[in-house]
Amino acid sequence: MAEGPRRRLRLLVTLLIGILLVIVAQLAQVQIVNHRFYKEWGEWQSVRTIVMAEPPRGAIRDRDGYLLAGNAVLYSIEAAPSLVDVETAAAALGSLLHVPAAHVETLLDSEASWVSIASPVSKEVGEQIADLRLRGITVLPLWAREYPEGVLASHVIGFCNVEGKCFYGVEGFHDALLRPERVEWEGPVDPASEQIPWAVVPVVLPQPGTDLVLTLDRTVQALVEKELARSVQEYQAEGGTIIVMDPRTFEILALASLPDYDPGRYTDFFSQNPLPFEDPAVSQQYEPGSVFKVLTVAAALDAGLVTPETIYYDSGWIEVGGQMIQNASHAAYGERTVADVLIESLNVGAAWLSTQMGPDVFYRYVRAFGIGRPTGVDLAGEISGQLWLPDDYEHWHDSNLGTNAFGQGVAVTPLQMIAAVATVANDGARLRPRIVAQRVEPDGTVSTLQPVVEAQVISPQTARTLTEVMVRVVEEGVAQARVEGYRVAGKTGTAQIPIPGGYDKEGTIASFVGFGPVPDPQLIILVKLDRPKTSSWASQTAAPAFRRLAARLFVVLGIPPDGVAVAEAAR
Amino acid sequence: MSDFMQWVTHGIKRGRFDVNPRMALHLFALVVVLTFVAALYLVLVSRTAACGRHIEQLQAELFRLQRENEQLEVDIAREGSISRLWKRALELGFAPAEWVEFLLPAAGEP
Repeated sequence: MAEGPRRRLRLLVTLLIGILLVIVAQLAQVQIVNHRFYKEWGEWQSVRTIVMAEPPRGAIRDRDGYLLAGNAVLYSIEAAPSLVDVETAAAALGSLLHVPAAHVETLLDSEASWVSIASPVSKEVGEQIADLRLRGITVLPLWAREYPEGVLASHVIGFCNVEGKCFYGVEGFHDALLRPERVEWEGPVDPASEQIPWAVVPVVLPQPGTDLVLTLDRTVQALVEKELARSVQEYQAEGGTIIVMDPRTFEILALASLPDYDPGRYTDFFSQNPLPFEDPAVSQQYEPGSVFKVLTVAAALDAGLVTPETIYYDSGWIEVGGQMIQNASHAAYGERTVADVLIESLNVGAAWLSTQMGPDVFYRYVRAFGIGRPTGVDLAGEISGQLWLPDDYEHWHDSNLGTNAFGQGVAVTPLQMIAAVATVANDGARLRPRIVAQRVEPDGTVSTLQPVVEAQVISPQTARTLTEVMVRVVEEGVAQARVEGYRVAGKTGTAQIPIPGGYDKEGTIASFVGFGPVPDPQLIILVKLDRPKTSSWASQTAAPAFRRLAARLFVVLGIPPDGVAVAEAAR
Repeated sequence: MSDFMQWVTHGIKRGRFDVNPRMALHLFALVVVLTFVAALYLVLVSRTAACGRHIEQLQAELFRLQRENEQLEVDIAREGSISRLWKRALELGFAPAEWVEFLLPAAGEP
């Protein structure tokens, strides 16, 4: 080969090798030297956290399966502005969302990669927008908590806000159980952030929340709420609480308080002062007054100190720890029995009993009845109440032993009080009050929750003896609480309201706790009315409310009157 | 041929190219195998993508039905709520029972 062509060929080969080396060097720079940078850049552009559509929150139902809290569907309209045909999309969205098209255009005229157009929008509108299949417009489903029964049992249920955070009642207490599972992973997406199915997506679907079946009976709840509303209006009270329980299981059949609210429209109630969301049945305390004498007499009877027939002398006053204690009527009753302490609601007799027991015995029983500690009910925001004990040198005073005996200087929640008296109705065994009866897992597994026995506070014999005394309270003392055809036991409480520096002279808290039919109680009811104006006495307000409600509930729950029950037993 | 290519190839003599049949066969077999593997890979990837898309559609359908179901349950519950039933009962002329009498069947009757 001539020298000229050979040289040109060599030059060509050198040139090609040079180009090849440049390419290889560039490749090495991209693939090796800047590998991490380009990898991250690529992932930043195309890999996103993909969240699988959220399944529904667990439902809340009453004991018969009626839905109390469920889930409705709403939508969020979002857009990737760079992909949207702005004019077409603005016209279509503006018309369906009932906003000016110019407003939508402004939103879409954005440098951002992602913008929210409207949220939340109704199911109908969301589905209409989805059907349009507009390029760059994404219609995301959202869940909204729905309460089909409206205000019914609002304090028991609680509510969830638009962000899905839940508060109060069962919603708040069992939030972790009710909350659905969240499944997310890193995966490739297209410019509209839609998932690219290069790889098989996770096939483990997120699980919905656990359904809860409550012990609540919606019919009983509705009747209780009607009676509470009637009583508050009739006796011109500021508010009130009614709790209905089955004393055999401590299942809460109904729990209502006024003021209440609609959990589906909770924002409408933000203007109220105080806010009505806190459940007074578990989150507010009051001095129970004479209802507390039931516990004092129970302790004295169970300790073997007295019998219902034991006689003491009521001089109209008793001095305990330097404080003079008088009867509510300021009268002296002379010789009286222990049963009369309840029947005639005598403060002096109650204080005499507690001083006879001494602080150790008295407070041991009071604590065993669950006073001064949360009951453990599965409702959010339960408080302990207030019980000072002798070893609390800062707060306790010797006179507390006398005043606590008739429910003064001690504060309880309505649920603590009904649970304590239900202990007497349940042969002396205190169970944990409960509102959830069953859990239904997403796979359909049903777990039934069993009653939990907290303590055998008094003997069954003491409980039955005390029950008979409480029947006499209704039959001989508080005629307003008598229920025709049924033997019921009960006790009134007219309590002063503590204020800084003493007690309010204006108002009282009137309450009545009763159960029946005796001897096999199937129902216990607590009625508490705050500051009734027509009469300050529980016998004139809470007791008649109890009578009306008990008469109705005995029928609704199919509990026959005494005569029929005896006849049935004899058959 | 362009002037440039003529310049480049000027003076290069066409050489004899001996074909080795065995080597050609190996080369052909290699090409066939590589083509097969590439085709298999493409089929696999496209099937995976199609399968992923199908699963995604099924999941979307499942979630859609789940939403429909939840909404229906809420709608039914709202229609059967206590307050609505109470109102409808009163409209239909029913009234709360004032007095209920319990009757016992005579002895011997079931």
